[in-house]
Amino acid sequence: MELHRRKRLGIILFITAGLSVAIGLTLYALSQNIDLFFTPTQIAAGEVQAGQRIRVGGMVKEGSFVSAEDSLKVSFAATDYANDVTIYYEGILPDLFREGQGVVVEGAIDAAGLFQASRVLAKHDENYMSVEVKAALDAAGATAENHTSLAEN
Amino acid sequence: MWQWFFKLGSPKWFYELSGKWLPWLVAAMSLLLVIGITWALLFVPPDYQQGNTIRIMYIHVPFASISLAFFPLMAVAGTITLVWRMKLADMVAKTAAPLGAWFTALALISGSIWGSDIWGTWWIWDGRLTSMLLQFFLLVGVISLRSALEDTDAAAKACAVLSIVGCINVFVIKYSVDWWNTLHQPSSPIGMAGDSANGPEIWVPLVIMIVAVYLFFAVSLILSTRNEILQRERRSKWVQELLASA
Repeated sequence: MELHRRKRLGIILFITAGLSVAIGLTLYALSQNIDLFFTPTQIAAGEVQAGQRIRVGGMVKEGSFVSAEDSLKVSFAATDYANDVTIYYEGILPDLFREGQGVVVEGAIDAAGLFQASRVLAKHDENYMSVEVKAALDAAGATAENHTSLAEN
Repeated sequence: MWQWFFKLGSPKWFYELSGKWLPWLVAAMSLLLVIGITWALLFVPPDYQQGNTIRIMYIHVPFASISLAFFPLMAVAGTITLVWRMKLADMVAKTAAPLGAWFTALALISGSIWGSDIWGTWWIWDGRLTSMLLQFFLLVGVISLRSALEDTDAAAKACAVLSIVGCINVFVIKYSVDWWNTLHQPSSPIGMAGDSANGPEIWVPLVIMIVAVYLFFAVSLILSTRNEILQRERRSKWVQELLASA
């Protein structure tokens, strides 16, 4: 390669490397703010103040779902398998909502220390399969490890 | 050793070679698209949680996957433009930008439709969706930058620099779901056994659709690059002869 071409390539590589490092450091510094939601463990550790609008992500704990008979009020526990947050919500839940399923909930902790949700979104994992495969896996008892994907976040 | 590289930069040579390849690429693309879409719509089993909505994946994933290729492609072409001043590289970079904006928009729209049904919202500002929207705006930025500068050489250099810088966003898109908490799920690992999650009955038609959409991208890029070649080389002898014979 001729000298002036080598020089130009060198400048491009230098600028690209420098920018990558700068943007990498910015993203690293911002990483807490880029997270979409808090985990139940972060809330248990007191990282969130009452009245602050936040999102909480977790799995709907098995056996925790309670629904009022005469209204759309529901409550359930969101868990990351270390800590739980009890969520109170009034409204229509997404189709995918069920116990053992991931959710992301928007809302705030009220004065009484209860999490009042204004919106509930369903989060699904990256495992797709047919009803038959799911039934076969359940029979083999292999689903327990599929449930850890959200807890690791 | 470098001779093939410089031959690649000759618009005439590319025009002739791509003309020979095009029919084969179009044939392979059409065949795979028909097989892939039929398989995805009719024969993929409904998901145990999402039911028939899972079929959106067979459009969304191929378009999302190919739209990550545009900035690296434009950056490689841009580097060649800056260092070797090769005409063809800038023609490819110029035609790639609007195509990339279309593919990125299709990935965003198909994802929104999927999300509105399954998540319960069509948009959320999580790491994956936001960085993908940023890519769309960056591509619109590259297109506007080129049309704003009248001098072809200056436009080529400015767009090359922006494309190289924009490449960094591709890593952010790719790893956003691993670095941060997002509503978007991470990439699916491929299941090899017939009775595992993401088994062959899920991923074989997906791979067919991905290859089909990649071929669609190649065909679109070649067609618009040929168009660009004819426009920019319209005063050269070989284009004049080509037009006279047509």
